Amino acid sequence: MTATYDALVVGAGVAGIRSALDLAGTGQKVALIDHSPHLGGLLVQLDKQFPTDNCGMCKMLPLTERESSSQFCMRKGLFHSNIDILLSTRLESLEGDPGQFHAVLRKHASFVDPTRCIGCGKCAEVCPVEVKSEFNAGLEARGAAHLPVPQAIPNHYVVDLDNCVRCWRCYDACPTKAIDFKFAERESFNILVADPDPQTTADLAEWLKKQKFPIEGPVDGNSVLERAAEGKDVRLLILDMSLSDVSPERVLSRCLELNARLPVILTGTPEQAEAARLLEQGALAFVEKPLDRAKFVPWLDKLYMRIVSDEIIEIDAAAVVLAGGFSCYDPSEVADVLGYGRSPGVVTSLELERLVSSTGPKGRGLLRPDGRPARRIAWLQCVGSRDLKKKADFCSSICCMISIKEANMVRRLTAEQEGGPAETTIFSMDLRVFGKPFQSYLDEAKASGTRFIRSRIHSIIPDPADPGAVRVEYLDDAGVLQVESFDLFVLGVGARPPAGMNELARAAGIETNEWGFCKTMPFEPARTSRLGVFAAGSFSGPRDISESLVMADAAALGASRLVNIYAPLRERRPQPEPEFRDVTRERPRVFVAVCSSCPMVESRLDTDALTRRLRAMSGVTGVALVDRACTSQGWDRIIDKAREVDPNRVVIGACMPYAYVPRLHELGKALNLNPALMDVCDVATLTALGGDDGEGTDSEVFSRLRMSVAKLLGADPRPTAQARPASPVALVAGGGLAGLTAALAVADHGYEVHLVEEREELGGLAMNIRRTLDGEDPVKHVELLIDQAGKHPNIRIHTDSRVALHLGRAGRFFSVVNTPDGPVPVEHGAAVLATGGVESKLYEWGFRVHKNVMTQQELEQRLADGTVDTAGLNAVAMIQCWRSRDEERNYCSRVCCQQAVKNVLELKRRRPELPVFVFYRDIMTYGFMEHFYTEARRTGAQFIRFSPDNPPAMEHRDGKTIVSAFDPVLGRNVEVHADLLALASGIEPADHSEIAEMFGVEMDEHGFLKEAEYKWRPVASTKYGVFVCGLAKGPANMEESIAQAQAAAQRAVRMLHEKHLASGAVVAEVRHSLCSLCGKCIEVCPYEARRLSPTMDKIQVDELLCQGCGSCAAVCPNSATILRGYSDRQVLSVIDAALEETV
Amino acid sequence: MATSVKNPAPQDEASRNLKAIREMVAACMQCGTCTASCPNYPSMDLAPRRLWRLAVMGLTEDIFASRTFLLCSNCYACTLRCPRGLPLTEAMAALKRMAAARETKWGGRKTQFYRTFLDNVRRWGRVQETDMMMRYFLDMKDPLLPLRYTPLGFRLLRKGKIGPPHSAQSGRLAGLFEKVKEMEARP
Repeated sequence: MTATYDALVVGAGVAGIRSALDLAGTGQKVALIDHSPHLGGLLVQLDKQFPTDNCGMCKMLPLTERESSSQFCMRKGLFHSNIDILLSTRLESLEGDPGQFHAVLRKHASFVDPTRCIGCGKCAEVCPVEVKSEFNAGLEARGAAHLPVPQAIPNHYVVDLDNCVRCWRCYDACPTKAIDFKFAERESFNILVADPDPQTTADLAEWLKKQKFPIEGPVDGNSVLERAAEGKDVRLLILDMSLSDVSPERVLSRCLELNARLPVILTGTPEQAEAARLLEQGALAFVEKPLDRAKFVPWLDKLYMRIVSDEIIEIDAAAVVLAGGFSCYDPSEVADVLGYGRSPGVVTSLELERLVSSTGPKGRGLLRPDGRPARRIAWLQCVGSRDLKKKADFCSSICCMISIKEANMVRRLTAEQEGGPAETTIFSMDLRVFGKPFQSYLDEAKASGTRFIRSRIHSIIPDPADPGAVRVEYLDDAGVLQVESFDLFVLGVGARPPAGMNELARAAGIETNEWGFCKTMPFEPARTSRLGVFAAGSFSGPRDISESLVMADAAALGASRLVNIYAPLRERRPQPEPEFRDVTRERPRVFVAVCSSCPMVESRLDTDALTRRLRAMSGVTGVALVDRACTSQGWDRIIDKAREVDPNRVVIGACMPYAYVPRLHELGKALNLNPALMDVCDVATLTALGGDDGEGTDSEVFSRLRMSVAKLLGADPRPTAQARPASPVALVAGGGLAGLTAALAVADHGYEVHLVEEREELGGLAMNIRRTLDGEDPVKHVELLIDQAGKHPNIRIHTDSRVALHLGRAGRFFSVVNTPDGPVPVEHGAAVLATGGVESKLYEWGFRVHKNVMTQQELEQRLADGTVDTAGLNAVAMIQCWRSRDEERNYCSRVCCQQAVKNVLELKRRRPELPVFVFYRDIMTYGFMEHFYTEARRTGAQFIRFSPDNPPAMEHRDGKTIVSAFDPVLGRNVEVHADLLALASGIEPADHSEIAEMFGVEMDEHGFLKEAEYKWRPVASTKYGVFVCGLAKGPANMEESIAQAQAAAQRAVRMLHEKHLASGAVVAEVRHSLCSLCGKCIEVCPYEARRLSPTMDKIQVDELLCQGCGSCAAVCPNSATILRGYSDRQVLSVIDAALEETV
Repeated sequence: MATSVKNPAPQDEASRNLKAIREMVAACMQCGTCTASCPNYPSMDLAPRRLWRLAVMGLTEDIFASRTFLLCSNCYACTLRCPRGLPLTEAMAALKRMAAARETKWGGRKTQFYRTFLDNVRRWGRVQETDMMMRYFLDMKDPLLPLRYTPLGFRLLRKGKIGPPHSAQSGRLAGLFEKVKEMEARP
């Protein structure tokens, strides 16, 4: 059977989850798959992220419609009514066209029945296998039966078949019989042997006796064909290459024609070369003869288990998002020089993350190999990055910041140690801190005591004087050899394409770039080479979380555009708004259903007594024991029994409460009752954990159920606040590249867009750029966008206009746009601010005084229009970071190094012998731009590093500019007599003060519009419903601006999609008669949901923003603030219920 | 060293000759792996990293004033480890050849050891230490030089490492040297 989805998301790391949540949030049905047995990708192993040094993953959950994703810690799992998650699943093939993809997925069995596994861990205890644990980066051993990650919910053990030794001890140990090795099915697994040599069959029959496989044979080719044609039940065919009557090729092709999934094993001597061809045609494996019993039997047994338990799932999807992530470079390749794997004191950055984690390997911690605390820790950057010999002519973009973060984590962890925090040292070439808050993060790290040394350490050896430590030699800037010893040496390993990239690329039909990452299209950063398939996160190149999420949003936008086009074909009907009866005036009638079929519950619980005690409680009108509540039959029984009682509160005692959340909606519909008046209580785990004799289990379970009943009896039965309609209109401020991209993206979803531009022309800053580093023409692209926007039926363009007034809340804003034709009122549901930035102009150092001094961008333009003639030049000088990254402008402008490299390459293209000198601090050519930096170096341009405390000096003489600076490599001053000087003056925000005030969004310390959260909500502003993108948010190149604009559009579409914005069931309310207007609650609210009313006489709560955290209720001195659906009385009665028996 | 380098750009004849080496090392990003890898670095007057920097800048005289490249023992450690994959050992060899060509004009002493060594090998078919030592001292035209090596000479004698030359292999490598000469003469 083929399931139909709107989108398939491959890869369930943060980017995949984000894309899935985006699409689910706009009402699309999503299948989210991952090849590993857990969600979260690499991030489950990382506890803290830069630059906030905390986790914050939950911040990407939707703020509205909280009930549709039963919201909690994202490290633990994800539940959303529109997302189906398939773990241990790979994409096998993807056929069809955009809008009508047909995907074949293979789901590897875990051999543990998740409905039965109670996570007791007995299987792992008895497992004799020891392999490296993936979760703890190989620092710890795990069994074949293991828990993939400790924190997931629901968390089930899995059996890793590849490492299993088939001792079946876990099978015997499992108390709930959750482990299924398919013993029963063996007898019907018919193996047909087509081998002219009768000995083979006889051998197999003898060998496989214990396995109980029915063996049939030997048969000749013709009878195989006959059987196949008759449709005889053959589960496995062993086909010998020396079959004479019919060619093995013919047998194989005919059998596969009749049954495409028939596993065929070829046997033969190694010389039979045509076997390779048959493998390509669909044979499963080739085994050399003579068969080796010791190897063949276990192999066949495992193969059998795979065949009978793997699941092939076919789905239809309109669009596909690939979020395969990346993998870390394995430094074993350079073990001889960097000592990884040889010296135990050398670890990778991922291993260090595990060492300092609270869930890290037991007994390791931050210790030297000899067990003493590690006091001197060093990091080495660019291991496997920026290295042509390792086929990595790219920068991994994230490692510099990861190392700084790890140094911070280590210092914090060791702060209490004797002698203060551990010594931390980072060895690097360039420090690539190009993100907006990164420079100040680096400055803080420097101030806190981490040493930064510019050197690429070439080898790490055990210290002869101190065997537990490692020793390195390096040259300092003065050219003096330094020798230092460290307790731990951390390799900042670079990014590589994800494991299995080739298979995934082949299955999805996409192309890869020369470094093996996914290839994307110019000016369409989320589009792959195949139409309808999008790349999210770092699948198309190494990125940090913030940018990965932007790319995930952009990919989701691309997918939802497609789904939107194909929506009519699929006859999607919008979900009707559920309406529940009002039970406010009814006397509480609680119905309790307890699942009784779990083996533990059956054996340990006195169900009759439990039923009696529950019935005796006041308010309880019905109690039912239900067989197998987790199955749909069980669920139907619950619904039937509930209907008999007609309750207005429902408690269900079962296992895995999270799994029941979508089901409660179903029940709500059936009973016409708000799911907020239902509760699921976990009784299975309780019974399992209640000691071996099960003593006290009865009262534990009863007490837990009683607490649930008490909670529901105290619940506020009033229907949740009426949902407010959203206006299906968006306002986009700024008509540059970002604004145009966002406007078109929103308009393509069928919403009306008002595009407001201050200037008379659209296009913005991008119109000044002649060529991108990749050689694309940005002006052509922007002109195309302007043309499209002009013709788009849903876009109204207001040029020479400004937003004059902006009022209201998310979903219902009211703005007035002042146009040359008079004011235009706009009612809109969301706003995108793309008000841009400017190339800063600094009128010092001869700019605008001397003709030969210009900005990098001017140089580009003048080279393009011919006003600079390279033939007349003797030397060109460029100075980077001219005012960026200093006290005044403490951020990297990000684009200037790319611009410089671009200009160098252009100058050198025109006149290869022209001397070009670039004075720089760190060359920020992150990602694949590193390649162009290598090229620029190769052309012979000279890059001279300077430090901020000794900047280049300048003098103007006879129309020439003389730049002199100290070259640390040369150890002397260099003097350049340049005919032309280009200054990288950087990106500054446009004046946003007016717009920020009007829209109620905040600006950061640099004057850019501030993100709600740099890492996890990168395009949301501090005001809900207003999104930011492009240069208004911070320096970005064109591709990044486009991705951000698409991400902002995605967020806006998500908001506009919700015809009604409904708040959660638990929100804060103010009892105004008790409120003294002290304002404490406004300060503590982490979601900025509270404010003083304009008339200054009331505290107002924005119900959409309020997440029901209760901070305000805790801080209120007068108990004026209460949480609706979470009252004091209710909580106290729950506590009473819990303690009733003990008192 | 605080001397200023003025417009470090290859303008003169010599710098143009350096072009091939400049191209070999142009992509260098001055990470210093070569220097730290070099087993002979402690004896060098200029760090290899600085040498490549001078080459990129076309500062010919500074390069040939140093003896760094003459101390390269062709171990290829730097070439192996260079993250840019630059042919550094080849570049060192090219510098040696250039230095030899420059110095013959004024009877250069710096590359004399190489010349004497090869001449010795050509003549005897192998190295004849005693003969080579004598000729080297003569070629260097420095009366104090033999005195400096006297202790070493005694030690070698005591261990039986040097003896009178014998001519068993004489001229055996002549063909090889002819071939090299012919190859070098090719345009």
